[in-house]
Amino acid sequence: MTQNPMIRLRGVTKIYTRGGETLTVLDKLDLDMEQGGFYALMGPSGSGKTTLLNLIGGLDKGDAGSVEIEGENISAMDGPELAAWRAEKVGFVFQGFNLIPVLTAQENVELPLLLTKLSRKERHEHARLALELVGLDDRRGHRPSQLSGGQEQRVAIARALVTDPKLILADEPTGDLDRKSADDVLGLLQRLNREYKKTILMVTHDAEAAQKALAIVHMEKGGTLGRIERLDAAAATKPTRS
Amino acid sequence: MVPLRLVSKNLLKHKLRFVLTVLSLAVAIFLLCVLRSLVVALNAGVADAAANRVIVQSKVSLFVLMPQSYGPKLAQVNGVEALVRWNWFGGYYKEQANFFAQFATDPKELFDVYPEIYLVEGTKEDFLANQKSCLIGAETAAKYGFEIGDTVPIISPLYPKSDGGAWDYQVAGLYRSKKKSLDENTLFFHYDYLEKSLEEGVAMGPKDVGIFVLRIAPGAQPVDVMSEVDAMFENGPQAVQATSESEFQAQFVSMVGNVPLLVSSIGGGVMIAILLAVLNTMLMSAREQTRDIGVLKALGFTDGSVFGILILQAFVLCGLGGALGILLAKLTEPSVVASIGSMFPGYQVTGPTILEAVAATVAIGFLAGIAPALRARSLTVINALRAVR
Repeated sequence: MTQNPMIRLRGVTKIYTRGGETLTVLDKLDLDMEQGGFYALMGPSGSGKTTLLNLIGGLDKGDAGSVEIEGENISAMDGPELAAWRAEKVGFVFQGFNLIPVLTAQENVELPLLLTKLSRKERHEHARLALELVGLDDRRGHRPSQLSGGQEQRVAIARALVTDPKLILADEPTGDLDRKSADDVLGLLQRLNREYKKTILMVTHDAEAAQKALAIVHMEKGGTLGRIERLDAAAATKPTRS
Repeated sequence: MVPLRLVSKNLLKHKLRFVLTVLSLAVAIFLLCVLRSLVVALNAGVADAAANRVIVQSKVSLFVLMPQSYGPKLAQVNGVEALVRWNWFGGYYKEQANFFAQFATDPKELFDVYPEIYLVEGTKEDFLANQKSCLIGAETAAKYGFEIGDTVPIISPLYPKSDGGAWDYQVAGLYRSKKKSLDENTLFFHYDYLEKSLEEGVAMGPKDVGIFVLRIAPGAQPVDVMSEVDAMFENGPQAVQATSESEFQAQFVSMVGNVPLLVSSIGGGVMIAILLAVLNTMLMSAREQTRDIGVLKALGFTDGSVFGILILQAFVLCGLGGALGILLAKLTEPSVVASIGSMFPGYQVTGPTILEAVAATVAIGFLAGIAPALRARSLTVINALRAVR
């Protein structure tokens, strides 16, 4: 059991009911993850990786158990409270990039800042810096359709980090990318983890991508936790099975 | 927090669809304004009718005339302090397309019974002094460019000249009316001139009277006057019907059928059709934005924010269409007056009509936006993100 983990799951259960049939996706899951870690979440389809990510990100609610992030029990939060929490605490990176197609890269990155008290000028400057960080300062005025897949994902990463959240959740961030672009994106995530101390939880099927993390959390079919593989002994953070 | 830039960019995502929807709304609101204004114009006379005037016409029909001898008798009825004759002349200026109303009337009594008439050009004295002169409504004068001193030739199928020519009237005054009970499109000329021409055989036509308009003295009851008038001619030779001015105007309106109902039905139909069209557009647009809604919610935008985005899109879309329609109705007002103003005197897109158009626009915006907005609000992030772009 880890002392003061950033992410603390206790007895987390998620059951889906479809056509009268119940499917347990997560089964009384206990897991701690430390601040500053870079975790790859792996496992076969149906093992509940994305569901777990959604619960940790406050996008979904479990049927039992508690999800605590930095000591806050987000399982007990209502809709507006959870939305405000997401806006402040988490950055999301999705497989399909999920940029708003009608907005430019700059406008996409500025979107989460609309929920802050920053002035228009400050929002603009923050977004510009975030795009600069992902190496796309010169693509600010481009729409998603005018960018390559790798560039789109880097814009999505800029959007995820523009509010400076401690936690970044990435669901198959390299799933739609070629190897070169995937490596660029993974390198960027590594940099965010090492230089900016972001805690990153990444769902992936790609063993090569998972090797870029500091630890791999293996999920088993039926929504139970498998082994936890530590990749870098020197890392200050490591996953702990409770 | 509603990202306004997203609202505008979503609307302009499909430019052609946006333009077509705005234009269809503009046409619908334009039609609503025009149709409503026609009804208002038709009813203006009824609404603004004077309480102290009684109209006497044949009991059979407005088109059946009454003997001249009725005039002096009507003047003797208790409570009647003035009386004026009106005869429909039914002519046109130069060619049949140039139609406006003309009446033979008693010049001095016209001013007595209709104190709302005032001259904007010319003098009452000139009109009274010259039997061949006429007064013309300022609207008609402006339309045809008549000026004081001009001779206006009128050809009347009801009162044809023996030589086949036109009746020539010299313009002595251009009038306007302080009330809508009297339009500003009519030509009034001397009854005596008509009578004299008929007597001398210069022209042909009936010598009887179309209607008598009585002015009731203060304190006298119009109902008593009407009863007495009706009773006076009950046994002929021509039974009459005395009505209040508002009843008479209403009867006139109903002669062209139940226009208000017809117009309201057309307007209502157009509004329902356009509501369905805009609703369809909004539902399509909202479906296309499902994934974006999921992204916004994931980023921390509340259910209320995404509701706001969708409803605002509907309001902006409808607002633009509505504003364009109202502007169009206002801009075309002079053209409508020029083309059918004589049939609908007093046609004007008034403030209340514009308010009704604004209300219709807001209602369409709300009804078209509420369903997609509610759907967006109730979507879970997970389901929204699963949507295919």
